[in-house]
Amino acid sequence: MNRSDAPMPPALVSPLQRLRAASNRLTTRSAFPVLLAGLAGLVALFLAVPVVYIILRAVGADGEAWQRLLQARLWKLLGNTLLLMLAVTGGALVTGASMAWLTERSDLPGRKYFRWMFALPLAIPAYIGGIVHLALLRPRGGMLPRLLENLLGQPVYTPSPLGFWGAAFILILFTFPYVYLLSGAAFRSQHASLEEAARMLGYRPLRTFFSVALPAMRPGLLAGALLVALDILAEYGTVALLRYETFSSAIFVQLSGRYDRSAAAVLSGVLVGLAVIILWAELRSQGRARFTQMESSWRPAPTIRLGKWRIPALLVAGGVAFTSLLVPVGVLTTWSIQAVLDPETLRSVLHSGSMGFSNFAWNSLWTSFLAALLAITLSVPVALFSVRHPSRISRFIARVCQVGYAIPGVVIALSLVLLVNRALPFLYATPLIVVIAYVLRHVPQAVRASEAALNQVSPTLEEAARVSGRTPVQAFVQVTFPLILPGLLAGGALVFLTSLKELPATLLLRPAGFDTLAVRVWVWASDGFYVQAAPAALFLVLISAVPLSFLLRREQIFK
Amino acid sequence: MSLPRIASLLFILVLLLTACTPASPATPEVPTAAALPESTDVPTDVAATETVDQPISGKLVIYSGRSEPLIQPVIDAFKAEYPEVEVLLKAGSNSEIANALIEEQANTQADLFITTELFTVQSLAQQGIFQPYRPAAADQLPPEFVDPNNNWIGLTLRARVIMYNTDLVVPEDLPTSIFDLTDPKWKGKIAAAGSTNGSMQAQIAAMRQLLGEEETEAWLQGLLDNEVTFFGGHTDVRKAVGAGEFALGLVNHYYYHLQLAEGSKVGVIYPDQGDGQLGLITNTTAVAVVKGAQNVSAAQAFVDFLVSEQGQKLFAEQNYEYPLLPGVPLRDGVQPLESFRLAEVNVAEAALDSDATFDLMEKLELP
Amino acid sequence: MIALDVRHLSKRFYSGQNPAVFDVSFTVQQGEILVLVGPSGCGKTTTLRLIAGLERPDAGEIYLGRQIAAAQGTFLPPEQRGIGMVFQDHALFPHLNVYDNIAFGLRGKPSAEIRQTVRELLNMVGLEPLAKRFPHALSGGERQRVALARALAPHPVLVLMDEPFSSLDTDLRLEMREQVRSLLKAMNASVVFVTHDQEEALYMGDRLAVFQKGRLEQLGTPEQVFQNSATRFVAEFMGNSAFLSGEVIPGGIQTEVGLLSQPVDLPTGSQVELAVRVDDLDFYPDPAGNAVIVERIFRGVQNVYRLRLDSGLTLQAFKEHITMLPVGQRIQAKLNPGHPLNVFPASH
Repeated sequence: MNRSDAPMPPALVSPLQRLRAASNRLTTRSAFPVLLAGLAGLVALFLAVPVVYIILRAVGADGEAWQRLLQARLWKLLGNTLLLMLAVTGGALVTGASMAWLTERSDLPGRKYFRWMFALPLAIPAYIGGIVHLALLRPRGGMLPRLLENLLGQPVYTPSPLGFWGAAFILILFTFPYVYLLSGAAFRSQHASLEEAARMLGYRPLRTFFSVALPAMRPGLLAGALLVALDILAEYGTVALLRYETFSSAIFVQLSGRYDRSAAAVLSGVLVGLAVIILWAELRSQGRARFTQMESSWRPAPTIRLGKWRIPALLVAGGVAFTSLLVPVGVLTTWSIQAVLDPETLRSVLHSGSMGFSNFAWNSLWTSFLAALLAITLSVPVALFSVRHPSRISRFIARVCQVGYAIPGVVIALSLVLLVNRALPFLYATPLIVVIAYVLRHVPQAVRASEAALNQVSPTLEEAARVSGRTPVQAFVQVTFPLILPGLLAGGALVFLTSLKELPATLLLRPAGFDTLAVRVWVWASDGFYVQAAPAALFLVLISAVPLSFLLRREQIFK
Repeated sequence: MSLPRIASLLFILVLLLTACTPASPATPEVPTAAALPESTDVPTDVAATETVDQPISGKLVIYSGRSEPLIQPVIDAFKAEYPEVEVLLKAGSNSEIANALIEEQANTQADLFITTELFTVQSLAQQGIFQPYRPAAADQLPPEFVDPNNNWIGLTLRARVIMYNTDLVVPEDLPTSIFDLTDPKWKGKIAAAGSTNGSMQAQIAAMRQLLGEEETEAWLQGLLDNEVTFFGGHTDVRKAVGAGEFALGLVNHYYYHLQLAEGSKVGVIYPDQGDGQLGLITNTTAVAVVKGAQNVSAAQAFVDFLVSEQGQKLFAEQNYEYPLLPGVPLRDGVQPLESFRLAEVNVAEAALDSDATFDLMEKLELP
Repeated sequence: MIALDVRHLSKRFYSGQNPAVFDVSFTVQQGEILVLVGPSGCGKTTTLRLIAGLERPDAGEIYLGRQIAAAQGTFLPPEQRGIGMVFQDHALFPHLNVYDNIAFGLRGKPSAEIRQTVRELLNMVGLEPLAKRFPHALSGGERQRVALARALAPHPVLVLMDEPFSSLDTDLRLEMREQVRSLLKAMNASVVFVTHDQEEALYMGDRLAVFQKGRLEQLGTPEQVFQNSATRFVAEFMGNSAFLSGEVIPGGIQTEVGLLSQPVDLPTGSQVELAVRVDDLDFYPDPAGNAVIVERIFRGVQNVYRLRLDSGLTLQAFKEHITMLPVGQRIQAKLNPGHPLNVFPASH
């Protein structure tokens, strides 16, 4: 191969070198990094305490509480939740993978635009999407049925967004982008040679897709599916709005209803157990979900011509983009304009108690920003420890830090309320407790991003710095840190984005007079004041789009 | 235990009296300075009746079981009077807020608690969550609406009514009792608020007391069998009925008025007025000062404001409610309560049994 | 003057497994290039990393000049050893340009001195015009040169090189070898150089240390190691020897391909093995010969023939490139080294 003298594109390392570097990494460092392990351990402890507390409460709860729940609701809730998870995960997989195939492997017209349109719904919290579709489609009262009725003169049956199907539909619309992005990247990095080899062996194109392309994507698809599943488990706003009872919403109701928190703790315990199972599966599959390395002999897989399927494909893709992006944004914009034009509505939009719109926006921004900063900072020692010094302990710590992923916001809020009030009362009812909830929930994302960033940096760079006279800390600051910074920023952007959207924990933990945009939207919308909620919702979507587009630009498909 | 019993006996007494006597404004007692003026001179007069003479300023934290849009105008008016006060509002469902108050006992965050029904506030009072305060105007309110220990004070009354869409229901078919709602002819045509709503909870609690567990359960089950749609709040119910999505809605009376004011074609029924029937179920909103409040002076000023004529007028005019302060006129179109037979609920007893209400709702899986 | 003194160095990674390095001792003189050579997994890289301070030894001492770098109870971390190291994947800092990469180890020195030193080195490796470039815009050879310059810039007491040319093309490799060797000699650098390529070892090293499975099998000049291999392994590894069995007789050693008249210090009748390389055997076509050609490998300059003796043993011998004999031809193979061969007692 005549590679050596041609300039190499960035981050291309031959498999052999990678292997050598990996084997170097695996040999345990003799000097155990006590300080680093200590730091990482502290972070893990901080994250684990609320979870452990809630499980203890659940286990220690009155047998009567368990009994009552078991009799009445537990099985039904379990069934509901699992059913929803399956439906949404399946739907998101199908939608995400097929849309990715369309934009990455076929000659769909307008691919460039579709790429953005399929990714942007991540900026729209699912419950806001739910609000819009609910207002549009609610049986008999929704805007669409009424419009049709006026046009056609008689009541028209439109699918109701309420209940199971509605909730599944809405959630699929706003979670499929996860799968879309993961599959898109996987499709794009597929080698032409894979499919060419299959073709030479006699496989027709469709069969090639199912036998070769899809299995190669399986790890990525699995990872995406499990992420979606965890999301659904934690989902509160949408299912509450669309009146489909799942664990999360039941816990919320318990918290609002009962004077005794035990039942809520019990439900939370079960929910956590369920989530941990999924998380375990996801962590297992994560190891295999590496994108294929683009070697220098890589050629992009050939574009598939759609031919007569062009129009149907365009309709389907257009339909997805329409319902998941254009409709919500469009409706929100219209309502916002309505709200702004009506002085009465405008006044109530701008104020609640003594607080104004700018307060809400500021609250959203600073809590999310602080959460992102804290999450990333906490994640660095954990990532350093687990990537540079792999061992049983470091793996354990890293796993513990992932637990927050599995704990829905409601449960985190509950455990914080119980814990903080007893242990750290001065912290209670300050906005900081909201930030803590965000951090607890989102450190896992930050740890993953930091680990991914660290994995890109060969340890020999740090060794080279050491040999050149730098202490370990200096080597980190001067060499490792500048190189992982883009990855850290991406992790921070992700935490920022998801914290902006967060609802249930914020609802439960916020002190009086402290509202975020997400809460504002929820409060107005749950009272039926959709038009009033629109400006806040639109603003939320717009500011979410900023970190989102930053994240997207790092993806190959958007360059 | 005896004090609440006395209170509830008085309550029943008053109900009986109001049921029997014609609707005439009660002769005001010696008017105190607080009750008279409507101008913006109020602050100085109100200040005169206060027990604390610090200036009214600082942060005032209000926990409200009333939904935000309904309490907002009152807060705005208060702020107009006391521009130095920064009002921080935390709104939610009654029980959610009550939970928070109990949770925060050792670490009080709230100054005031405003609620939409009496059971919660009674229950909390029994747990020692509040501190006593008796505004001067309390003397003018019917005594059953003031806690004997001055832990809370009532603000307004509301009645549980059935509103209907005039396009969808002909007068002959109108239900006359809440038990008509279980009639299969209304299957799928009724909207109501669900188990998280304070007023609904209160109605169920009241019915449990008046009718007993079994009958209440039967009624609820009947509603479920009749495919009643349960919304999160009454605003949704009234809008749905106004839009013609549903023929009937079970709401607090003022929601009917609010919907009517928006131009919808709706009508209202005050149910169960016949002999041997239940009577109109009512409930009371109340306010209480939280023990350990940071800003007692502002809290008390707010309470004064709420029971003042100005405050009571706001409730009546903005919200079509029945103010408790005598002499405050009802909004046009609102039927005075005296024209109805009211159900006789023992508030204190019902308060004790709140767990059982939740149990029932859970058992039936009320949405 | 001794630049590096390694005594009885041992290192084990996973308890229960064989040690990666065991009881290794050697010295490096000032200005000498010592090559650690051996097959992969033999411990040469681990030894290098122990010298660098990137691993801690389990036993043994390392002296850099007069300073103790590692001993029982003492361990000098890498940043304090004053060693330069060139890594296999060159490990250039991607966020720094060539100039800054080279200057990286010069921190703390006055800026005029830094500038001068960097310029000197850029000159030496011939990369002056590329000073502002970033690593990703350099070719493999250029990167390796920058890595070398970076290692040499602080005038280290010892230079460590870990298979620096393994990622380069063959032609480039040869060229780089020459350039780097002359550069190192010009600077009178003391070097420990690791490679698995014996040819490279023979070229680069003033002395070779041959490793196998964590142990040092032989330490000597290239000629010594090649011609007077201390162990069977060294003989086999250097020059790709095959082993021919023989018996000691009064006149020398009798083998199936002839008598080797070489004095040997073993009693008559001992069974021995001779290390036979491709230049040690001669053959000619003979229908009554003792071997058959089984393969001809054309190497451009030579033809290398694989011969299967009737006893079953396969040996190799070469002829000039124009001498092409067909596969299957019976030939007579004869031992004809022209120099002493390595002889070992027969292993059973």
